[in-house]
Formats: sequence, C-alpha cells, structure tokens
Amino acid sequence: MRLLALHVQDFRNLPQVSLAPSPHATIAVGQNGQGKTNLLEALYFLATLKPLRAGRLTELVRWGTQGARVVGRFLLKGAEREIAVEVSGGVRQAFVDGKKASSLEEYFGGVSVVAFTPDDLEVVKGGPDARRTFLDRAVFNRYPAFLKESRDYARALKNRNRLLREGPAAEPAYLDAYDETLAKAGARVYVRRRALMAELAPRAQATFASIGRTPEPAAYGYHPSHLGQDFAEADEAGLVDALLEALAARRKRDLERGFSSVGPHVDDVTVTLGGRSARAYASQGQQRALVLGWKIAEIENLHAAMGFLPLLLLDDVSSELDPERNAYLMSYLASSGAQVFLTTTDATLVRGAAAADTLWVDVHAGQVVPRPADAPA
Amino acid sequence: MTPDPLNRLVAQLAKLPGIGEKTAQRLAFHILRAPGEYAVELSQAIREVKEKVHLCARCYSLTDSELCGFCRDARREEKVLCVVETFADLMALERTREYRGRYHVLHGVLSPLEGVGPEQLRIKELLERLNDGKVEEIILATNPDVEGEATALYLTRLLKPLGLRVSRIAQGLPMGGDLEYADQATLAKALSARREL
Ligand SMILES: Nc1ncnc2c1ncn2[C@@H]1O[C@H](COP(=O)(O)OP(=O)(O)OP(=O)(O)O)[C@@H](O)[C@H]1O
Ligand SMILES: [Mg+2]
Ligand SMILES: [Zn+2]
Repeated sequence: MRLLALHVQDFRNLPQVSLAPSPHATIAVGQNGQGKTNLLEALYFLATLKPLRAGRLTELVRWGTQGARVVGRFLLKGAEREIAVEVSGGVRQAFVDGKKASSLEEYFGGVSVVAFTPDDLEVVKGGPDARRTFLDRAVFNRYPAFLKESRDYARALKNRNRLLREGPAAEPAYLDAYDETLAKAGARVYVRRRALMAELAPRAQATFASIGRTPEPAAYGYHPSHLGQDFAEADEAGLVDALLEALAARRKRDLERGFSSVGPHVDDVTVTLGGRSARAYASQGQQRALVLGWKIAEIENLHAAMGFLPLLLLDDVSSELDPERNAYLMSYLASSGAQVFLTTTDATLVRGAAAADTLWVDVHAGQVVPRPADAPA
Repeated sequence: MTPDPLNRLVAQLAKLPGIGEKTAQRLAFHILRAPGEYAVELSQAIREVKEKVHLCARCYSLTDSELCGFCRDARREEKVLCVVETFADLMALERTREYRGRYHVLHGVLSPLEGVGPEQLRIKELLERLNDGKVEEIILATNPDVEGEATALYLTRLLKPLGLRVSRIAQGLPMGGDLEYADQATLAKALSARREL
C-alpha cells in the first residue's frame, strides 16, 4: 500500500494542501500551532474515518467554511484507488473512486494506518480507558470487522444500562434478553482482543528487550477480571456463558447503580516490568520504551499478517523521547521500508529517518510547502 | 412571488423522507402541469390510504378490511407463524414466494434507548392469538442487529415455555451475493458459523 497523492481542503487550519508524498519518509517541519498535527490528522481521518483528537466532526471543518475534504490516491494491491472523505453539517461521507462508499468495510479494504502521538506515550501511566482505546485501535487495524463488532457491543451496553436505570420495574425476561445480547457481543470483543494480544504481546516484549536498556523483561497482558484462568482456553460460546454468569451475579448491584459493572468495557491491559506494574513502578523512560515496543510490534504484526506495511504517522514523538531511544526509532523507521509521515519542530531530531528521497515540507500558518529536492534541511 | 397553494404543496412534499426542497419543487410543478385528472386521482389515493388502510385485527399487517389477505387466505399454513418487525419486512419475505405460513407484525423492536419496551410492541397480541393452540412453530425474523437480536431472545423466553417450536432465521452471506461485496463483519460471522460438508 502506498499513498501517491494527498489533497486536503478546509480541514482544520489547512485551506488547501496538495502533496505527492515520498514513498518513504515525508517530514513536516514547523513552529508550534502552524498545522503539522492537522496535516497528520487529515491523513488519519482519511484512513480511519475517525478524528485523531477531535470530539466532534464539526471541529475538523475550517472555521468559516462549509465543509472539509480529504482525498488520497493510493496504490493498493497493484491498482490505483482514490478514496475520499468529506465532512459537512456534522456528517461524514466516504467515497471510493468518486462513488459514495456503500459500506465502511468496502472503504477500508486495504488501507491501514498506525498513528503514534505524544499522548500515546502516556498510555502506560494513564487510566484503563486510554489503554482500552489504545488496544482497540490496534484490534481494529488488524481485524476491520471489529469496527462493527465493537459498535454493536457499545449499543447493546447502552441499551442494557438504560434498562437497568428503570430499576426494579424492569421486567426480568427483558433484562435477560439484553444480558444475552450483551454477552454475545461481548464475547466477540474478547475473542478479538485475545487474538490480537496473542500475536502482539510476544513481539512487543521482544522489541522492548532490544530498546529498554532494562534487565527486567516486559509483559503485556489482557485478562478480563471476571474470567480468571479460563480466559486463554475458552471458546467463544464458553465466553458467552461466563459473561452471562458474571452479569447475572451482579444484576442486583447493577440495578442499584444503573450501569453494567462487568464486561469488555471495564477491562484493562496490564503492562508489567519484571512482574511489577509498570503504571506504578516504571520510570518515565521505561514507560515510553514500553509504548514504543508496543507500537513497533503493532507495525510488524500488521506487516506479517497482511503482507504490507501500514502507513505510519508520527506526531512530534521525537521531542518526547531521549536521544538514544529516538535514534533507535529513527533507524527503525529508515530500515523498515514503511511509508512514514513525521512532524517535528526541530528537523535535527528526525534526520535519522531521512534519506535522499525524503520529502521535506514546511508548515506555516496552514500553508504546507514542499522544499525543492536539492535544498534539504 | 410564487402563489401560496404552490408553496403549500412544495412544503408538504418536502416533508417526505428523502425529498429535499428542490425535488419537492420539481414534483409540485409536475403535478401542476400533469394532464387530465392526475392531481385529483393523486389526492384521492392519498386520502383513501389514510381512510381505508388500517392494521389487521389478527396479525397487525396492513389491510382495508377486518382481516388481511394473509390471515384470510385458507391455503396458508396455520401451524407456522413468522414474526417480523415491520410490514416492509413482511413484504420482503413475501417476495421470495417461499413462505406459506402466517405472519405477525410487531411494529418495532425492543430498544430501551429509544424508549420502546414490550408494551409498545404487539407482543401481548401475539401471545393472545396463540391461545387457540393452532400455531406449532414460530419463526423469528427480526433483523440481525443488536435490537433485533434482543427482541428475538426476549420472544424466545416467552414462547419456549408454551411448548412451541421456536426458530430464528439464519444469518450470514446473502445467497447469490458475491463474497467480494459482503461486509467484513458478516463474512467473519459466516466463516465462524461454517458447516462441514
Ligand atoms: N477547525 C479549525 N479551523 C481553523 N483552525 C483550526 C481548526 N482547528 C484547529 N485550528 C487551528 O490549528 C492550529 C493548530 O494546528 P496544529 O495542532 O496542527 O499545530 P502544530 O503545528 O501541530 O503545533 P504543535 O507543534 O504545537 O503541535 C491552531 O492554531 C488551531 O487554532
Ligand atoms: Mg502538533
Ligand atoms: Zn392479518
């Protein structure tokens, strides 16, 4: 997969951008607040239909304009495809080769992107929500069907919670029906997350070992709290039963509180160093190496599973890493062969990822201007 | 300045689903220019659909008499009952010309989020009509989405204890539909529900 051309219109502070990215690294350089992250977000939005940061789609539309548009021409499995996404009036519409995409799945066929931002570096330290989001993004990248499956789960959960809020008046058979619906959707989420972790955890551990500069081994795990030791072996039907049991056991309490206290939406990813919680004990640098290990593992895992590398978006990550880990990351990027988009305020930090074919662009007040090939940084 | 009657017609047409202001205008001009009795016949058809079409007293599909054609048709199996969400779903099943049993239309699905509970659907009526003991099998043909699934599970809980055979329509790939065009969640489901040959 390769992005051949990118066009952005009225997306955040970018009025109009046209780029022919390098097959390897494209590096956006600019001062704070100029539009570097916005450029990456446009790409991320194109590839996932989800904003990277925004809460609302309308935030993506440049102030004072009617709608935003991002178009990418991709080389996918030997054929050129144009995919596009528009936001206007708070609604997004996706296009494949100029025609409205009839399903998200059709749209996603083949395009995948892994983003890495300074926020990600905080994920070990942060709350379980952040780690679940982090995990689910990786699951979605690996299994596109997960987009719909996780939405179904979220919808079943919202329905059940609303029913719980009716309190004791809620009819037991009605609650039973939603318990089972939730358990089925939840088991699917478990199966996906478990499958991803089985692939990813060993890779992430190995990557950490080579960058961590720490004798203790890292371990990444996903163990739904109510499932105990059985989780690793149980089949999907078994997971449905286990979740049903847990829901039944907690129904009284859930009815009192008005929300479902068990299920994939309350699980956490555990990250340990030498068997101890990284959240509680790992140093700042170790935490960042743990996240870096995970991200690189995700890239390699996608490569192994799909046969091609995802697009990599790195937003200002270098400034947050110490020089040694940054050098590791840059040389990894240079040797991976992936198509990469980097942003930085300081070109010297990312020079390790650059090569003769690197496209340097200057970002200033929403204008994105490529530097001529003979005038590198 | 367009005349008020024309404005009123455009405004009414624009309330229809999928019809914007521009299309409404085009339709209004079409009606205005159409020859002969078209406008009269159209308005009469609209009035009649409201005056004469109502819910069937037994299955809650649509009819212009006491019982609908499906309930009256003696050639249809009385032993099998297919439960659907909407009249549109019923018509989709009819188009297959495969099903020869009777129907029951729920008029919605159970959705706490939308404030639709068992009392808002024709579930009580379904249970009542089973009292005569003629129905032996019930096919649950609600949609395969979250609410449709929950509704089917709820009905199963009510119907099984009555000693009825309860089945759910199969899910997965549409026949004749290309694998290539199936969405990934459907394909994934179809794969995991594969059967040995
Ligand atoms: N919808 C919008 N319309 C217009 N401008 C916007 C919109 N959303 C954000 N901006 C502006 O975009 C600018 C920030 O751009 P961006 O986040 O890309 O900066 P950056 O170059 O990544 O800076 P930093 O180096 O600080 O991360 C801000 O000035 C912000 O006000
Ligand atoms: Mg930024
Ligand atoms: Zn009838």
